[in-house]
Amino acid sequence: MRLAERQQGGDSALELKPLSQDVDAIRARSEAPSLDVVQAGSLRRILELSERLPDDWSGMLGPTTLQEDFGALRFQLAYMAYVLALTHAHRLPAAPVVFQKPFDNFIQKILSPDVWTYWHYVSTGRGPFNKSLGELPAQWNPVEVDNIMYSAYVQSMALMYHYLFRDPKYARPGALSFSIKPLFWGEGGKLFLYDETSLNDHIYWNMVERGYLGIACEPNCIFQVCNQIPIIGFRFHDLVYGGNLAREVTDGYLAAWSEFGILNEMGHYNMMIQERERTLITPDQAPWADFWMAALMHAWNPDFVREHYPKQMAAWRMDGPDGTLTIRPVRSIAPNRPELISARDFGWAAVCASEVGDEETLARMLRYADSMLQPTWERGSYYYPRQDEPVNASGMPITMDPHTGNVLLAYARLNVPGGLAKLYDGVWNDEHFAEPAVVGMSSGIDVRQAWFDNATGMLSLAFAPRDQRALAAEFEIGRFWGRGTWTILLDDVAVASGDPGTVLSSTGGIAVRREDERLVIALPLNGLTSVLVVWDRSDAR
Amino acid sequence: MPGSCPRLASTSEIGGDFALIDHYGRPVTKADYAGRYMLLFFGFTHCRVVCPRALGRISEALDLLGTSACLIQPLYVSVDPARDTPAVMKAFLCERFPRFVGLTGTEEATTAAKSAFRVFAQRRDDADDADGYAMPHTALTYLLDPDGAFVTHFPDTIDAPGLAARLRDILDMSR
Repeated sequence: MRLAERQQGGDSALELKPLSQDVDAIRARSEAPSLDVVQAGSLRRILELSERLPDDWSGMLGPTTLQEDFGALRFQLAYMAYVLALTHAHRLPAAPVVFQKPFDNFIQKILSPDVWTYWHYVSTGRGPFNKSLGELPAQWNPVEVDNIMYSAYVQSMALMYHYLFRDPKYARPGALSFSIKPLFWGEGGKLFLYDETSLNDHIYWNMVERGYLGIACEPNCIFQVCNQIPIIGFRFHDLVYGGNLAREVTDGYLAAWSEFGILNEMGHYNMMIQERERTLITPDQAPWADFWMAALMHAWNPDFVREHYPKQMAAWRMDGPDGTLTIRPVRSIAPNRPELISARDFGWAAVCASEVGDEETLARMLRYADSMLQPTWERGSYYYPRQDEPVNASGMPITMDPHTGNVLLAYARLNVPGGLAKLYDGVWNDEHFAEPAVVGMSSGIDVRQAWFDNATGMLSLAFAPRDQRALAAEFEIGRFWGRGTWTILLDDVAVASGDPGTVLSSTGGIAVRREDERLVIALPLNGLTSVLVVWDRSDAR
Repeated sequence: MPGSCPRLASTSEIGGDFALIDHYGRPVTKADYAGRYMLLFFGFTHCRVVCPRALGRISEALDLLGTSACLIQPLYVSVDPARDTPAVMKAFLCERFPRFVGLTGTEEATTAAKSAFRVFAQRRDDADDADGYAMPHTALTYLLDPDGAFVTHFPDTIDAPGLAARLRDILDMSR
C-alpha cells in the first residue's frame, strides 16, 4: 500500500511530500535488527558501568584480591568494550553516539593503576607454574615483559576503537600512558608512555621473539586463550593501517602449537605451556578453557572451532529444570584456593554458543540464567548480581560473579552468530562512514534500532525512554543532507519532509530543524517509538 | 586506513650492531657493510625447508631487481654456530646461493645478534637430521638502510616478485 499521510493539528499548515516507495515493502526488505527489552537492559548495564566515576568499581568486584582471577577488572572492562563493538557492528550500526564515548571510557578505565598494578607483585613469580624461575625482580611497567593478559587488551581495545569510530585518538604519541602517582612514596611515581602502534609493535616483536607460540601472562605461563587477544589486536591494526600482521602471526601460531597440540588427546583445548620447561599444563576439569578459547579463536580459525565445539559442549553441559541448560560444576583451578568458584564456565559457554551459532543451546542457557541466577532490573539495567553460594537446595549451580553477571551473559545475548569472526573480517568500509547515523542524543533514552539500508534508502530508528518514564527527547542525525527529498515517519505516520538541503514541513508534535550538517529531531518520547527516515530514490533517477 | 603505509616496528627496537665472522673467516660488524642496504635472514645450513625456500626467494627477488641489486648486500646469519663454521657456510652458500655472505661466530655473538633482531631459534630433537637436532627459527627477512638502521621486515609468505617490488619502491624512495 502507499502510505496515507496523516495531518495532525497543532503545527503550521503542512504539505508532506508523498512517498514514492511502498513502505511495507521497504520494511520487509530492510530486515533491520532491533534490541528486545532484555538485550536493551543488558546493554544499558554496560553503558551504566562505563559512566561510573574513575576508579568506582562498585558492582564489579569478585571474591579474589589483587586482580588475579579470570574475572578481574581488566577482563570485565575489555569484554564490555568487545560487547559494545559487537552490538554496534551487528545490531545498531547507525548509532555511534551510543557506543563511542562508553568504549573510550573503558579504555581510560583499563589504564587505571587499579587495573594493572597487580603486575608489580605477579611479575615476581614463584607461583605454582613458575617456581622454576626463582624470585624475579618486581616490574612496574605492565606491558614491557609478559603480562599479555593485560597488554593485549589495551592494544586490541585501542585499535578496535580506531577502526570502529575512525578516531585516531590513541595513535597520538603517549595516548596510552600507564601512570601511577603515589601520594606518600615513590618519588614522583611511574609513567610509561605508548600509543596504539608502539604498543602493537612491542607486542608483535615479543610474539616474533617467542616463535609465535605466544607471550606469557604470569612469567613462564603462555596461555593459549590470552594469546588470542593480541591476534585480534593485530587484525585491527591491519584493518586500520594496512599490512598482514594477523595472518603472519596466526600462520606462525599454528606452526608453533603443532609441536604441542592446540587440543589434547581428549579434544579439549590445551590451557598453557610452561615457557622454560616447554611442557603443557592442562587441567582435566576446565570447561572455561574450551569455551573461552573457542569463542575467541573462532574469529580467525572458525572451521577448526566449529569442528570440535559439539563434542566439547557435550562433555560439559548439564540439563537444568524445565528444558534449561547449564554447565556442570567442576573443581576450582586455583591450587591454593579450592573454595573459589565462579560462573565463568557457564558464562563463556554461553558466549561460545552465541559465537558458533548454537542458538538452541544459547536459548536454553539464557533461560537457565533468567530463572535461576537472580536476574535483576535496576534503573533500566539488566544483570545478574554476585552470588557466592555454589548450589541451591536442589543441587543446581547458582554461583554468579561480576564478570559473568555484568559482561559475559550480555555478550552472549547481544552477539550474533559468527559475530566476532565477522568483526575480525572487517565489517565496514568507507561507505559505512558516509551513511546517515545518530551522532547526538539527549539523556535518558535507549536506542533499540539504528540501521541504515542503502538499498532502500531508509534509516530505521527506534527509541524508548529508560525506566518507561516519558521525556522530551532530541536526536541528531549526521551525514543527513544531500541524499534527495526525504520523509520522516513516526510510528509509521509521516510527520516531516524536506528536500536535499532544507526542512520543508513537520507536524505531529515533533520539531525538526537543520543544524549545520545534522538534522535535529525533537519529540516527546512516551514509549517505544519508531522513527523512519526514507529518502526518495526516485529523485536520484 | 587500509592501503596506507603500515608502521611495523619502532626502529629503535630492532637491529643494533653485531660482531660476527663472515664465511671467509674475517671478523665483521655492521659497519663493514655500510653504504649498501643489508638484507638479513637468520637460519642454519642444515635447515631442510625454510632456509632454502627463503634464500631462494631472496636470490630470485634480487635477480628481478637487475643492476639495482648491487645496492643490497644479502646476509645469512647462523642460529646454529656449533655446526655452521665459516667453511661450512661458505660451501653451502657458494654452491647454492652465491649472492649471500654467511655470518657466524661464537654462541654468545650469535645470541646477541638474534636478540638484537628479536629472532626466535630453539634447538629441538629431529630424528631426520644426521646430528639429531634442528633449530626452528624466525623466518623474517630484515632490511637495514646504508647507515645500518632498521627499515622494515618481510614475512615468509611474501613471494619473490612481491619482495622485489617492495625493495624497488624503497630504493626508489631513497634516490
